[in-house]
Amino acid sequence: MNHDLFLPGIIAGDARTFGIWMASCEPTVRLSLRSFASVVDTEAVLQESLLRVWQVAPRFIPDGRDNGLLRLAIRIARNLAVSELRKTRARPAEAEQIEDALAEDDAPPAPPDPMLRRHIANCCEKLPQRPREAFDARLHAEGDDDDLATKLGMTLNTFLQNFTRARKMIADCLKRAGVAL
Amino acid sequence: MTREEEDLLVEQVAGAWRPRTEDELAYHKAWHDLDAAARERAFELARALRPLEAALDPDGLSTTARAVLARITRR
Repeated sequence: MNHDLFLPGIIAGDARTFGIWMASCEPTVRLSLRSFASVVDTEAVLQESLLRVWQVAPRFIPDGRDNGLLRLAIRIARNLAVSELRKTRARPAEAEQIEDALAEDDAPPAPPDPMLRRHIANCCEKLPQRPREAFDARLHAEGDDDDLATKLGMTLNTFLQNFTRARKMIADCLKRAGVAL
Repeated sequence: MTREEEDLLVEQVAGAWRPRTEDELAYHKAWHDLDAAARERAFELARALRPLEAALDPDGLSTTARAVLARITRR
């Protein structure tokens, strides 16, 4: 699938269309940062990169190949990660590793699987109350884990333990259903 | 740091929340307390979590995508 079909909406400033594009392309951009994971905060880099894609999209000129905006996002993310490396003076990832990561990311994004969504929702419904509260809080609420824990009347450690428990229970449930993520 | 303490930090870093700043990249404070192996664990955990989150979201968005959209609409 060529995700540049969302370009007109994104260029027009439609954040919802950009959300649809992100839903498809985020995993690929994230994976392109794997070789930097030990030396930069890849989540921060990823979010900033996606924001910059949104900002430059109105000036983006497709080169005729599929998924031009995704390739731009990978390039922005890599450049930002390299820039962070230079700031921290940390040991840069080997050039070969970076090229491998980019090559790995050339695969087109896969569309969401409705069956997988159903399995995951079923597994979440089976969670005990406190782990489910912690898991739901991360999904739906804004704020850091400290804030979320306070809202739920938990200490930070208890909140994180409940979240971990929820995550592992969902993974076990999916495994029993024959789903491998 | 015990393995249990490290696990809790990894869990925090694997989340999508990051402090907000106007002009520079904001790292999660817990990220600085992790060694290289633990940072890679956090990366892989985030990679595993985001599809779960997206599957549970009515718009198919992960918490990362939600955080980015929140920044866009706040501007």
